Amino acid sequence: MTMTHPGLPFEWLLLAITLMVLGVLWAMFRLPVVYLAKPYINIERIPLLGSLARLFAASPWPLLFLRFIAVALFLMVIAAGLFGTPVPEHNLATTLTWTIWWTGLIITVFFLGSAWCAVCPWDAIAGWLVRRRLWRRSDQSASLGLRVPKAWRNVWPALIMFAGLTWLELGVGVTTNPYATAVLSLVMVVLATVYMAVFERKAFCKHVCPVGRTVGFYAQLSMVELRPRQQQTCDDCETLECYHGSKQIEPCPTNLVMGRLTQSTYCTSCAACTMSCPHDNVGWRLRSPAIEAIRHARPHWDEAWFMVGLLALTSFHGITMMGFWEKGLSDFARVIGDSGQLLWSFSLGMLIVFIVPAVLYTVIIRMTQGMLPVAIPFKQLFAKLAFISLPLAFVYHIAHNLNHLVRESRGFTEVLMNPLGRDTLPYSSHEIHMRHMQPLLNEQLLFALQAGLMVLGFWLAVQVLKKRTLDALGESQQWRAVYLFPGFVFIVVVTAFNLWLLAQPMVMRM
Amino acid sequence: MHVIKLLVFGIIFVFSHSVLAHHVLGRPSYSLGEDSNTPPSMQVETQIGDFYVTYMAFPAFPKPNEQGRVNLYASRIDNGLPFDGKVTFKVRDDSWFASAEETLGVQDIDDNVYRQGFLFKQDGDYIITAEFESGGEPYMIDFPLRIGEPTPIGPIGITVAALVTILAVVNVMQRKRRFRLKAQRANREPAS
Repeated sequence: MTMTHPGLPFEWLLLAITLMVLGVLWAMFRLPVVYLAKPYINIERIPLLGSLARLFAASPWPLLFLRFIAVALFLMVIAAGLFGTPVPEHNLATTLTWTIWWTGLIITVFFLGSAWCAVCPWDAIAGWLVRRRLWRRSDQSASLGLRVPKAWRNVWPALIMFAGLTWLELGVGVTTNPYATAVLSLVMVVLATVYMAVFERKAFCKHVCPVGRTVGFYAQLSMVELRPRQQQTCDDCETLECYHGSKQIEPCPTNLVMGRLTQSTYCTSCAACTMSCPHDNVGWRLRSPAIEAIRHARPHWDEAWFMVGLLALTSFHGITMMGFWEKGLSDFARVIGDSGQLLWSFSLGMLIVFIVPAVLYTVIIRMTQGMLPVAIPFKQLFAKLAFISLPLAFVYHIAHNLNHLVRESRGFTEVLMNPLGRDTLPYSSHEIHMRHMQPLLNEQLLFALQAGLMVLGFWLAVQVLKKRTLDALGESQQWRAVYLFPGFVFIVVVTAFNLWLLAQPMVMRM
Repeated sequence: MHVIKLLVFGIIFVFSHSVLAHHVLGRPSYSLGEDSNTPPSMQVETQIGDFYVTYMAFPAFPKPNEQGRVNLYASRIDNGLPFDGKVTFKVRDDSWFASAEETLGVQDIDDNVYRQGFLFKQDGDYIITAEFESGGEPYMIDFPLRIGEPTPIGPIGITVAALVTILAVVNVMQRKRRFRLKAQRANREPAS
């Protein structure tokens, strides 16, 4: 028996659409993009938060402590998956991994950036195994330290891994299979270890890890960032401990130089730079969310595809949880003669959902290219404007995940008490119904959050489009609102589709 | 050219399996209405050719020497009418070196359901195959059935073996590299 979450009610949809229309009108006729005079606040000046930030920046022990907790939970997930009950709603492996962590992780990115990567358990285990140090810098013999081949020095592997993870999650049904969840966790450990043992620094985190790259790209929209306190100090620095490391501290795992850092995509928040900097010049600061996607982030071809891929795959998550998906998949399977778990039909459906937004975006870029009075190469414009898909993907991802988190995480304390789910039975229809009727948050508050998020994402995407189109034009060219039109169409179509998805009843996973 | 070959292979692969369904994953659940006192079952809903097939194994987690039962219900996708021929249930080990297949029984429809009892004496992963014929076409559906607790040693063993191998290989290569460097350094230094 399947239960469905109610979708976003019409009144919330109407309110969201009204706010979006007002936002579009404002954006079309107001120039230039306005920023706060002082958009950054040093976190260390904020009471309590500041002390916490200083603690994590100055000493490796607090982070190491959190890493131990993350590893302990990760090992429990593996143990529960391999030894525990196959009933997914009573097993820690499935509930902690898919209902709590995977849904909550995306929400935390907004507040904490890529903090997850700093405590990532498969990276921690790989590091301890290869380097044989808890946190101190290891000698050079621990890893072969090879340079990643040039063809692999991009995020294509991460995009393929992310598509693969989505396929396993939604097609094969790993989310409801504790054993498969545990096996997947072990695979991540092996992959991270192999990469760390063979290549220099943390090539797995930078180029392969689907979780790390998703978190990294979304971190561009985060309200926090790790940056130099004084740019001049970095400009004058000749030793670059942040990049090379110090005697005790590892170098930046993803080859970043703090003085030249303009985007957080590859920062793993590991705090190596804060500890190795001899000038104590690196710290956390609050910023206007999305400032990076709007202004600072530099476009690259592979990264642009990752962002478009993120957009397609987040919407795909929503599509597969609609009632019509099952029916459509079944009809499609009959047409192509697919049987059993309908994996061929699912894979083809997934491919179509991936291709449609990509083609739409490509057409939009061609149109924009044709409209602009300056000649800009297609690839350059494609990469430059791909940042508009980030806020659209991010807000829908959070709004969708909120549904899972709020409605499906009830009963998690019972799972914590009995992580292996010994002597438990599947939920009865009555129990499933009761879970469904008792969300963690008031339903209207949930709807308000979802509608607000969609408006925010739309607004940020418009800001990104406007600033980046202005940049593409250059100062010498006359600005015309019509240049934004194709980009607006893309933003409106994607937002309308995602809003429609949110308004549909969503099938519960557990 | 390779793309065309792959495409042709893909199409042939898809269409050549039109009436076979392999290893359909199940999910433990209460199978009937909320007022039912039926014990939880491992339940699978799947689609094969012209039929929707619902399969239930009771109990959900059978143990060795415990009587169990599979129920199978097949209805036509186009008009919802249940299949009413004969269904043959077979079983085999789900391993690479599987032993011969055994027939569990041939069942007639009983209240729209095909029921087949089973009793396994050993822990293990088995495949139950339901076979029937409709419209001149043979239908075969494979359902996995786990008897007893699954063995966790497989994934853990493979992981440990993979980790030990990679760490050992890296260690050996690094040692060789160190010796080579040492030898090169010694060769460069003038003899005293």
